Amino acid sequence: MPSSAAIRLQVETTLANRVPAALTLKIKQAPELFATGIAEVDAVLNGGIPRGCITEIAGAASTGKTSFGLSAVAAITQSGAACAWVDVSDALSPESAAAAGVELKRLLWLRASAERQQKITSKPWSRLEQALKATDLLLQAGGFAAIVLDMSDVLPQHATRIPLSTWYRYRLSAEQARTAVLLLTQTPCANSCAALSLRSEPAHVRPFNSNGETALYEGQRYTLVRERNRNEGSMIHQKKPPMRAEWPAETLWSRVR
Amino acid sequence: MYAVFHPPNFAAQVAAKQRPELRKRAFALVDGEPPAEVVITANQAARTAGAEAGMTKLQAETIPGVAVVRRIPEDEASALAVLHTVACMFSPRIESVENAPGTYALDIRGMSGLFGDEAQLANKLRQRIMAAGFLANVAVVQNFDAAVCLARGRDRISVVPPGHEANALRDLPLHVLNPTAEQAETFHAWGIRTCGQLAALAETDLISRVGQVGKRLHLLARGAAPHLMFPLEPSFEESLAERMELDFPVEMLEPLLFLLARMTDTLLERVKSKALAIALLRVVLHLDRGKEHERIVRPALPLEDKPTLLKLLQLDLETHPPSATILKLELYAQSAAPYRAQHGLFLPQAPEPGRLEILLARLRKLLGEERVGSVELKDDHRPNAFRMVPFAPPAPKQSEQPSFSVATALRVCRPPQAVSVALVEDAPVRVFWEGQRYVVHEIAGPWRVSGQWWSEANWCREEWDVRLKAESAERVCRIAFDPRSRCWYVQGTYD
Repeated sequence: MPSSAAIRLQVETTLANRVPAALTLKIKQAPELFATGIAEVDAVLNGGIPRGCITEIAGAASTGKTSFGLSAVAAITQSGAACAWVDVSDALSPESAAAAGVELKRLLWLRASAERQQKITSKPWSRLEQALKATDLLLQAGGFAAIVLDMSDVLPQHATRIPLSTWYRYRLSAEQARTAVLLLTQTPCANSCAALSLRSEPAHVRPFNSNGETALYEGQRYTLVRERNRNEGSMIHQKKPPMRAEWPAETLWSRVR
Repeated sequence: MYAVFHPPNFAAQVAAKQRPELRKRAFALVDGEPPAEVVITANQAARTAGAEAGMTKLQAETIPGVAVVRRIPEDEASALAVLHTVACMFSPRIESVENAPGTYALDIRGMSGLFGDEAQLANKLRQRIMAAGFLANVAVVQNFDAAVCLARGRDRISVVPPGHEANALRDLPLHVLNPTAEQAETFHAWGIRTCGQLAALAETDLISRVGQVGKRLHLLARGAAPHLMFPLEPSFEESLAERMELDFPVEMLEPLLFLLARMTDTLLERVKSKALAIALLRVVLHLDRGKEHERIVRPALPLEDKPTLLKLLQLDLETHPPSATILKLELYAQSAAPYRAQHGLFLPQAPEPGRLEILLARLRKLLGEERVGSVELKDDHRPNAFRMVPFAPPAPKQSEQPSFSVATALRVCRPPQAVSVALVEDAPVRVFWEGQRYVVHEIAGPWRVSGQWWSEANWCREEWDVRLKAESAERVCRIAFDPRSRCWYVQGTYD
């Protein structure tokens, strides 16, 4: 009776013309990482967000998703690469982007608009549809180091209705184009397609009047919880406790002090 | 040494080139204001059938088997531009010969290193012209006018060594000297038919009979007429134009694209011959009822890739379609030095310029003209004042920026959302927003900002940073009060 190794060799040889190494596991290279510009977060993510994968950051409003996204984009644009920001709700503030250190000339900003399709303005679908199509086009064209799909203002009930096939397509395209896709949402929706899944939460609150008599909003502390990291070479069965990073973000005027 | 090429019967050649169905037919070209149109030229077959220049249109139409076609000056201008480009390939000093459209004289001194001896150069020149779709005679002679006469009088290629001009011109008919009708009649009456016979006459006797013009004709016939060359200094940019008049009005864009492809190809060839690329394409569509539709496609970087340029034209015309049927189209180009950049060894640092242009055009079609691009901050006190500019990432280069702490981002509400606010001692304490009741937990402000008080667009408001808490949610927002409309609205959320 032939051994399993012999059968395997026979199958692989027969299929060699159609499928190279059909029964051998593909050795996955560790992906290149982009530093996010936040040392605390980089430490938790073992260096940064992965290139060629989807990174999902989910969390409620005012939990630092946009600040994190802008910080990552700033670090990437400063390295000389081009990035794109697909803005579903047209909510990006160019001033905030400039303050985060983003090189604005290297950032392609795509603003989805509700006016393009008059009939369904009341629903977020026209905007979402435009944004998803635009992301598809960007991934197919290639050449962008990172694409941020900002769905922070899309309600969870709408975001979760995006078909899973879309995320599968994005995952494959991102891998081929070697683009880091950064997904900002209120609730996780890319499921297993996201190689890195993060949850953003508010950390302890700094009072407005902490620095003097005049009340002034000077910044916030946020927490980023690592839910899943597919690229981590750890044992599959041992569930690791999620790791947290607490990081501060400050307003422009607090820098002047 | 001068090389002269002369496409015989230029107007007929152009007509046959532009309308391939005429190639195997006898046809006569007519020009002039209807109904006083006259035949200006005819091809060999039509001449054999009896058509000749000067006939009226009606006379030409009565000849059986001869098609009467209207001359299109735009086609001739376009063909001249092609011949001009060919001439420029062989010499930097060229002159267009008067009274002979399509005939160019090239100063070929010092060109032997590039094209070989005179015979080889003449051969290559003729082949190039034939590749461009024209038949031409080429003559290489030391004397300018002798070269012109030989090109007009002798078929194919003639190369004359210095000093043998008179001998070469001897058998040519007199019309190559371009005499006036009166002079031609006089010479005919004297029994002089060839240049050799004219050259054999005594110069003084000739001058005494026909005047000073006789001296020039005598010199021309001997191949010894002096000529001061005025090389053409053409504006290359002006030659980058293509025009086409349509037989039938076109409504759809697809058939138009076939024509645009051909025109873009021709323009690209011209541009590439100078090692340049196309920086701008301007399409002018002449529509029904005298309207015009003009579109400009300006790639971020000069392109020399036909499919990309064509796709850009297509996407632009699809986004901005003409309002009526198209009768005529014109395509103008502007050239520039092609883009060169060093990219990453294994991975592109930025999208490929050609593909990026198409991508941006597609995105503009999907999202809208003003919603795709880079952002540029305006020098303005109004918060979030910006303008959109076309996305053209600079060459990949690492930049070092001073490291600040991470900035808190503001997510802007566009347009600002109106909210209801409950006040206690002029400060907000409760906010009703999107059907939710928020309690103001912390507050900072008001920050009073205003601007442009000198104009109609003046603005002012009081801004507050507030930490809002509802039953389940908490958010930090910036709300503002507009004293003029007495309205509260949310400017954005810190995130």
